Amino acid sequence: MDERQPASELDAATILVCDDDPSLRELVRAVLGSGYRFVEAADGAEALQLARELHPDLIVLDVMLPGLSGIEVLEAIRTDAELHDLKVVVITAWSHAEMEAQVAGADRFVSKPFDPDDLNHAVEELLA
Amino acid sequence: MTLARRMWLASAALALLVGAAFTALILAVSAQREATDRESRSKDVTAASLELEKLVSDVESGFLGFTVTHDEDFLVPYRNARRQLRPQLTRLQALVAEEEAQRQRARRIAGLADEYVNYFVALLIPNLREEPGIADDESVALTNKNYTDDLRALFRQFRTAEDRLAARAARDAEERTDLAVLVGALAVGASMALICLFGIVLARSIGRPIRAVAEGAGRLAGGEFSLRLPAAGPGEVGELTRSFNEMAERLDASHAELEQQNEELRESERMKTELVNIVSHELRTPLASVLGFTALLLKREFDPATRRHYLGIVDAQARRLAALLEDFLDVQRIEHEGVELAAERVDVAGLLDEQAQLYAAQSPKHRVELTVEERPLTVRADPNRLAQVVGNLLSNAIKYSPEGGRVEVVAGRSNGGVRIAVRDEGLGIPEDQQGRIFTKFFRGDAGATGITGTGLGLAVSRQIVEAHGGRIGFDSDPGTGSTFWLELPNATKRAQDGESTTMAKEGG
Repeated sequence: MDERQPASELDAATILVCDDDPSLRELVRAVLGSGYRFVEAADGAEALQLARELHPDLIVLDVMLPGLSGIEVLEAIRTDAELHDLKVVVITAWSHAEMEAQVAGADRFVSKPFDPDDLNHAVEELLA
Repeated sequence: MTLARRMWLASAALALLVGAAFTALILAVSAQREATDRESRSKDVTAASLELEKLVSDVESGFLGFTVTHDEDFLVPYRNARRQLRPQLTRLQALVAEEEAQRQRARRIAGLADEYVNYFVALLIPNLREEPGIADDESVALTNKNYTDDLRALFRQFRTAEDRLAARAARDAEERTDLAVLVGALAVGASMALICLFGIVLARSIGRPIRAVAEGAGRLAGGEFSLRLPAAGPGEVGELTRSFNEMAERLDASHAELEQQNEELRESERMKTELVNIVSHELRTPLASVLGFTALLLKREFDPATRRHYLGIVDAQARRLAALLEDFLDVQRIEHEGVELAAERVDVAGLLDEQAQLYAAQSPKHRVELTVEERPLTVRADPNRLAQVVGNLLSNAIKYSPEGGRVEVVAGRSNGGVRIAVRDEGLGIPEDQQGRIFTKFFRGDAGATGITGTGLGLAVSRQIVEAHGGRIGFDSDPGTGSTFWLELPNATKRAQDGESTTMAKEGG
């Protein structure tokens, strides 16, 4: 059983999960548990649209996306007046050096495949 | 004409001209010498005639002195002169033997002198010794005077004629010399002109092309393999230029061949890199699911239904990994062993319907529309392989139109066989990538844009379609979408119902 207490609908933070693979979106939700409200997007354009509509507290963003890439989504978020302080966790198969070089403005990096605890800690720290 | 022949001819002409010049000059010199000879002979002739005249005078004065004095001493010069007279006359005639007029004059002189000295004088002297009174006869003196006057006149005429002849001979010689010198000078001038011409022609027809070849060789050595020289120069020089061009041609060809091999090596290197990238990326996503859910199931407690759901995901992702591996192995197998076909009569409409539904269910953003122009539509083929090809084309149509939209599948009869076309409204294929689209592991810009895939689908599809004796191709406008089509012949002689047939990998 999940040891955390389910938060009420009003208190729960909203997390936008953006990945083109449905099983990975489900994995992110399963890892983070039932304490959050989740919204899912399958590509970058959908993620940006949902972010602008719903103003989530945090976005878990995959880099390799069809159409608009994760990096482009991140740039759009950071230059958007309303979204620029949205917390972003980037999930990527890239090495750390590549992430440093290419992904500017992410709050946390999680490598793929990831340890469930790493993702949990990253999200908990950012939303604390 | 070969260059050697031309040069030989030019040399011969030059030699002829030089020879002509020398001949003319030799003629001039010999004419000059003849003139000198003629002059000196003339002097001899004149001297000889003067000598003879003196002898005649000696005879006359001796005779006249004897006539008056009867002193024998006066006859000494006469006797000397008479002794010398014959040889001198002979000599004079010999000197002018070649000139008819002078020869006749000399003969007349000789005749008259002989008559005067040897008959008239020589006969009178003994008579005078016996009868000195004869001397007083006037006719003796008169006859003597007539003889000597005639002789003197003859000598004068002879010398005048000789002078005239000598002068004319000198004039002739001068004219001939002038002519010979003129001819010689002209020949020398022509020789010099020919030598200069020869030099210019050599420089133009040999020097210039050879310089061009030398420069060309330098540029060729510098890597300018497309260089060709304009065909120039006669004979051997032209051959040199042609040989140079042939050499450049071969160098160019082997250089191009090397470039080609290099390009193939680079391509093979690129495919290897691509394979590594694809494997790492394509395997990573399902692997991330399998590892993530497994770790979660090991660390946390879930209710049975959730646990079962997660295990289902792990199972599906593990199968996806296995399928990927199978794809790689399939390509490997097809490449080495050809496509194994289990051909039978296939209901094309049913097969397409099944595939369309399957892919439509996977992507709610896309509308998959199937049009079968003629029913029933059947073809002899391996149903699993045909489904694999159609599935690849549908999967691509969906993947490469990320904005969603319509995917049209149209099937009908064509050339007695079946034609299936899959049309999308997606990204299309950039023109510079169209030639490589059926190449194994080639994915265009897909890797960079996050479109998943192995780059194997089209390569395998082509192998399968060609193994059926069919054709596969596409039409694409970047930005407006692509249409991939395939045509299968209705029956192949090799593929009978229910029979298993292996087609060669390059096969038809």
